[in-house]
Amino acid sequence: MCGLCGLLGITHWTETSAHTDAFTGNTRNTLRAERLHRTRIVNAALCPKRVRISDFQATSYLLSSPTGKSVIVDDIQAVWGAFETLTGSILDPLDANYLETLKQVSQ
Amino acid sequence: MIPVNVVTGFLGSGKTTLLKEILQKPEFNDTAVIVNEFGEVGLDHILLEEVEEGILLLESGCICCTIRSDLQETIRSLQAKAAASEIPAFSRLVIETTGLADPAPIVSTIAAEPIIRNHFRIGNIICTLDGIAGMRTLRNHEEGIKQIAVADRILITKTDMAEPALVSQLELEAHGVNPLALIGHSTGSGFDASLLIDEDINDPAMRAAEIGRWFDANQLAQMKNHKHAHGHSHHSHENTAGLNSFVVEYENPIDWTAFGIWLTSLLHAHGERILRVKGLLNVAESTTPVILHGVQHVVHAPMHLEKWPGDDRNSRIIFITKGISEAAIKTSLTGFLSLAGRVSSFSDEAVGVD
Repeated sequence: MCGLCGLLGITHWTETSAHTDAFTGNTRNTLRAERLHRTRIVNAALCPKRVRISDFQATSYLLSSPTGKSVIVDDIQAVWGAFETLTGSILDPLDANYLETLKQVSQ
Repeated sequence: MIPVNVVTGFLGSGKTTLLKEILQKPEFNDTAVIVNEFGEVGLDHILLEEVEEGILLLESGCICCTIRSDLQETIRSLQAKAAASEIPAFSRLVIETTGLADPAPIVSTIAAEPIIRNHFRIGNIICTLDGIAGMRTLRNHEEGIKQIAVADRILITKTDMAEPALVSQLELEAHGVNPLALIGHSTGSGFDASLLIDEDINDPAMRAAEIGRWFDANQLAQMKNHKHAHGHSHHSHENTAGLNSFVVEYENPIDWTAFGIWLTSLLHAHGERILRVKGLLNVAESTTPVILHGVQHVVHAPMHLEKWPGDDRNSRIIFITKGISEAAIKTSLTGFLSLAGRVSSFSDEAVGVD
């Protein structure tokens, strides 16, 4: 992210909450909790590929390969390109074998 | 926010004639126009900027970040000039593409550029289709087919010169490529400008009507293709242009986060083959439906509809794709959405949370 984007507060659509009153009131998730939930699901999706992400300071995500290579990304959209950079392969969500492995995640 | 209408259409299909015509209408007062090239038809007395076509791929970006730097600069310069009163202020921007241009990068330029996206919003994408030569375009030219597929409004031109039977056939064909677009006719003069600009999904006042039409049109498309001579039924329609459109329904309320993760990964891997996504989602965190609207890799910020249009609470997502099956999309969506329920029971270590 360049300084200008940060200044203007550009937000990827996946970072917005579906709830109009999200992040307010006692029953709503905090921004941090939403990010944690997001990180958990992405990790579950990346698990068969042995790549993981972690939330970095609630501003970015750090994607790491099993060999320790890592890439920092701003939002979920950028995760998939970074995955290619790290592994040299594309994660195809329509791939039947991948989807089958996804079913086994943490079972 | 200033609406931006993109006027696209194959070579010689009547884009400039359309522009000339609509700019004389009161609805298009205060309109600035950006053209890729000056055509044979002159456009006088209007704000006009010419832009050389060029593509800039951001180093850090994926294909969805394909933006046109030239266009970006032109829009910014128009805005700066209007602010400095060097040109009259304008309340609408129309961008005319070249006949062979892909309209998707224009959409991504407006959606992705931080300054532009704070002042402009995408309105309807209008595509002209030649009433006489249109069938040839749909059969032979991929660029022309794509322009039809990403459009919100299709205008069949030269209908005064074309055989009525041919126009009807062309209309059917265009509807097959893009069942979601409204189709109008033009004889070169005198047509309904409101057809082209009204019921814009980004206009809160028009949103409900446009959504109603999306799903209504789709129902009709399904009915038309629902029953085949060979006895089975399905929800997908493949047309002669090799595109297929279908609606994916999902019964349970969906986890918005998991859905976003799924859609971004899908568009990253297959965005070139997914021309349009439009949906009405029943999201677990929200009591009102969420509208999803995307052109290739660009997904617009989700919008809320004040209330459900009917009793059906299923999430419905319409896809216009090039060779991706409904079953593959549904299986993939179900696989990703099921992760949302399961991760909450996982330990932090199992899902990689420190």
